[in-house]
Amino acid sequence: MDVAAGVLAGTVLAGARAIRWLDDRDPRGAEVLAAVYAHTGQAQVIGITGPPGAGKSTLLNALVAEQRRRGRRVGVIAIDPSSPFTGGAILGDRVRMARHSVDPDVFIRSIGTRGHAGGLSRSAHDACLILDAMGYDIIFVETVGVGQDEIDIVSLAHTTLIVGVPGLGDEVQAVKAGLLETGDLFVINKADREGYEATQRQFELMLHLRAEAAAADAVAWVPPLLRAVATREEGVAEIVDATDEHAHALRADGEFARRSARRERAQALTLAMDAVQRELYEQADPSILAALEARQLDPYAAAELLLANWRQE
Amino acid sequence: MAHLEARPLRVLLAKLGMDTHTVGVTVIAHALREAGMEVIFTGLKQTPAMVAAAAIQEDVDVVGISTLSAGHTRSLPELARLLREAGAGEKLLLAGGVIPEEDVPLLKEAGVDRIFTMGADTRDIVAYLNEWWAEQQAHSA
Repeated sequence: MDVAAGVLAGTVLAGARAIRWLDDRDPRGAEVLAAVYAHTGQAQVIGITGPPGAGKSTLLNALVAEQRRRGRRVGVIAIDPSSPFTGGAILGDRVRMARHSVDPDVFIRSIGTRGHAGGLSRSAHDACLILDAMGYDIIFVETVGVGQDEIDIVSLAHTTLIVGVPGLGDEVQAVKAGLLETGDLFVINKADREGYEATQRQFELMLHLRAEAAAADAVAWVPPLLRAVATREEGVAEIVDATDEHAHALRADGEFARRSARRERAQALTLAMDAVQRELYEQADPSILAALEARQLDPYAAAELLLANWRQE
Repeated sequence: MAHLEARPLRVLLAKLGMDTHTVGVTVIAHALREAGMEVIFTGLKQTPAMVAAAAIQEDVDVVGISTLSAGHTRSLPELARLLREAGAGEKLLLAGGVIPEEDVPLLKEAGVDRIFTMGADTRDIVAYLNEWWAEQQAHSA
């Protein structure tokens, strides 16, 4: 099987294998990526994030259905946590997306975090590129349930959708800090639940504060606040309208390409940093570490020496 | 940092048929996770076509089917055939649950690689998979 050619032809078997190689850090994955990379940059990557229990998977299921109604081919990358102890994982996001499993125009892939912090996996970016090269129009990336500052998704996606939910206590906690400042769309899911109005007011206040802070920069896009009951598909068409509008706004002023470029740059630097980190670990001179433990060297001095040794190698 | 190079075994677990008994498959999912495997669970009431599509999209090494409601003499051979026809016949196909001894030859003939009947110890399943995976790795190295 010529995997790179298969990816460009949109063959599911080839695309699935390419993502596996990239996730496993099999060198064949990088070869495939090199062959298909020039053909990427078309798809809109939409990140979906929010606290555990917000109904991200159920909402995603409904969003995929709506995108299909509009004739788009859809890729889904669903990320769940790997055990930090065993490396194993139970990836269960497909359960809520079973209705799309035999649709040839929907490709769903479950990925474990495999030790990566920040709500994504190491290979999420690579998987996006493969699905992009396969010709999917929309790529959804569902992060693990996040806390306050797991905002990697923002640098990966063109459009970041933040899902909140009434009744999780202090909802603001889950979306403050980085997420609030960078989300492009806010959705309160399970909006038929008690506490919706209070949650809505909190979100409105936060968005108001954000708009005031951003006014000086004359930012064109005002993040909308939408309501949904994903289990009944309520509010879903409006969300897709909003993500469409966002893509349109991004493309209109060149921001779409700028976000893609920012993402590719960040990925290249991350890969380089990973390699440097591995080399540093492998080349660390035990005598420096011993001097550190004996308190003859302080951590800063030891770091300088480790770096000097690495540069020499 | 050695774990970064690890290549975990990916296993799809699915239930074929109309029953809703999830205890067995849940116990197995957790045992496999504890053994360092990535388990993709697709849920209940799956058809062979749904399982085959998921197995290919997920590029799993192993497809494990739990069946407790008869119909397995039709659905399991169909699943094996769908995987073969899609070019994914090399995946290890396992079945477990309520499968009478007399059905075993037919299922094996149809392409089910191994059958774990009621009362199988999860440790045996883990050991079997680890051994199979080690063999595969040695084969491809």
